[in-house]
Amino acid sequence: MPKQQRIRDPLHDLIQFDVERSQLEGVLWRVLQTRPFQRLRRIKQLGFSDFVYPGATHSRLLHSVGVFHTARRLMRVIEKYVPAKDARVDQALAAALVHDLGHGPFSHAFEKIGERFDLKMANHEAVSDMLIRSGEVSEVLRDMGSGFANDVADMVSGSGTPTIYSAVVSSQFDADRLDYMRRDRLMVGSQHAGIDFEWLVENLEVGEVQHGVDETSLKPVQTFVLGRKAIFAAEAYVLGLFQLYPTVYFHKATRGAEKIYTELLTRTITLIKDGSIEKTGLPKTHPLVRFAQTPDNIDCALSLDDTVIWGGLSLMADSNDKWIGSLAERLRDRKLYKCVDVRAKIAHDKDDGVASSSEADEVCAGIRDEIVKCLDEWSAKSPDEPPRILLDEVERSPYKELTEEAKGPLSQINIRTEGDHLADLSKRSNVVAALKTYKAFRLYHADGDDEARKKIMEILDAGISKWPA
Amino acid sequence: MAGIDYAHRAAAIVRDAGGHIVGRTKFQKIGFFLEAAGVGSGFPFRYKHYGPYSEQLAAATQHAAALRLIVENESVANWGGQYSTFYTQMPADPSTHPARARLAQEMANADAVELELAATAAFLAYEKFPDPWAETARRKPEKAEGGRLERAKRLYLRLRQIPAPHPLPSI
Repeated sequence: MPKQQRIRDPLHDLIQFDVERSQLEGVLWRVLQTRPFQRLRRIKQLGFSDFVYPGATHSRLLHSVGVFHTARRLMRVIEKYVPAKDARVDQALAAALVHDLGHGPFSHAFEKIGERFDLKMANHEAVSDMLIRSGEVSEVLRDMGSGFANDVADMVSGSGTPTIYSAVVSSQFDADRLDYMRRDRLMVGSQHAGIDFEWLVENLEVGEVQHGVDETSLKPVQTFVLGRKAIFAAEAYVLGLFQLYPTVYFHKATRGAEKIYTELLTRTITLIKDGSIEKTGLPKTHPLVRFAQTPDNIDCALSLDDTVIWGGLSLMADSNDKWIGSLAERLRDRKLYKCVDVRAKIAHDKDDGVASSSEADEVCAGIRDEIVKCLDEWSAKSPDEPPRILLDEVERSPYKELTEEAKGPLSQINIRTEGDHLADLSKRSNVVAALKTYKAFRLYHADGDDEARKKIMEILDAGISKWPA
Repeated sequence: MAGIDYAHRAAAIVRDAGGHIVGRTKFQKIGFFLEAAGVGSGFPFRYKHYGPYSEQLAAATQHAAALRLIVENESVANWGGQYSTFYTQMPADPSTHPARARLAQEMANADAVELELAATAAFLAYEKFPDPWAETARRKPEKAEGGRLERAKRLYLRLRQIPAPHPLPSI
């Protein structure tokens, strides 16, 4: 019997790599053994979510393998419509496996820090691109052909004309999302947000949809669409993902921890850049110190992962810098700031129906500006104190937003009608049509900081009292 | 960066483009070229598959709309999608660099896809790609076809000819 490499997965059960008969799977199995890929063992898929859901400790390594496995399923759908073997099949399958290589410690929170300091190596897309095009992963991928690694990198970055193969990597039914929303639900232990995966895949079709940029039309492109019998499965799919945002991804405690982490690393990197390493509590050889000193070095970025940060927290907690010491201790011991939910207060003071309205947006914008002014004043008085208020503003529309480009068929779920046309799911489902963008605006303060809390409440009351006519 | 100051800066881009900009893509690419020419508003840009993009500008635009500094109207395009048009009645600022308004208005009148191609080529030039136009065509083949790449080059030349504090790279 040909040799198979096997991985047991809590979501998909057995995932096999046919390393003898499939050249691609043999190569990808070797990609799994590389240092960049093994590093993903030490990056959790959901960052700080295990502060809320202790089971949510799954790694990006297993998610990546699951995305590859799901991509293979999606290829079987494509084969029904596009029977000829295409080189892009292998490119898309490889892209599915390596798409997350560039994530840093605590993924998206780390990207925010990168934006503050303009650190290219904190941008997971840029790091993934480099790791796929050059280095150990690239060397292994080149066994599929000299240009294969670059083709895979292009597939991950979204370069080139959108095709049904790139839809496996990025679309409303991409393998990434089909894995993470099921895996995250399983690992957090939630009983909501379930989807009828088998029925969805069984009813997936390849369809041609229009797309464009602003007013300008471009040629139609192929993407995944759903057959007419999948309308309720599609409805549950949209709802399921939508529900994961307030309950898991945007949970107030998770976001509160991310905000503390962001401020902790911001201060740490600032001090390191200023040459004050000794104030951080970290040794000069610590990977975070090396990264802050040489942020363009890919090896320094590769040395960072969640465990490096966790391991540094006890050292940072002993720092003589109050900002670093207090925030590191809070993160290590899960002593998070207290949350004031601004939109919940608006709902309470005004009406439940207006908490996400344009009037509420205007009020929130005014409140945000007052809070920022207050923080600037406090910071000017005590520049070495950690921020006394942390702001969190997030929103999520029911559909995954794929581009900056105009909303259209590529960024919606298209379902086949009785008349064999394609229609946006929101035109066929009253439930989906009724969904509004989820918006959260929270302010966090240290427990016991009564002055900060009082200031927050004053600004909130004053802001809400200026409700637009 | 989502403070009121940045909301005003986002609205000022619409103002200097002549009071309205059709499309999010065009808004972003105008913001990018203003930064590149040294008459920008301080928004950082990164490369996305749709070209240079600033999340901070996107957030500031949303903030500006919430504060009613700009109005965003959605329309349906003939290809079936929706696109936004941004308006502002913000009063002119006499201290604005003359190149800023000239650049912004030239771009506001351009085709969105051609502007995206030109912005992508300029971004790739800053990233030191030896032939940014060829790389742009490779990355965006469906957008570069039908003579758009040539028209994007001509648009870029017009932008480059507008005297600005930081001349756009020669590509």
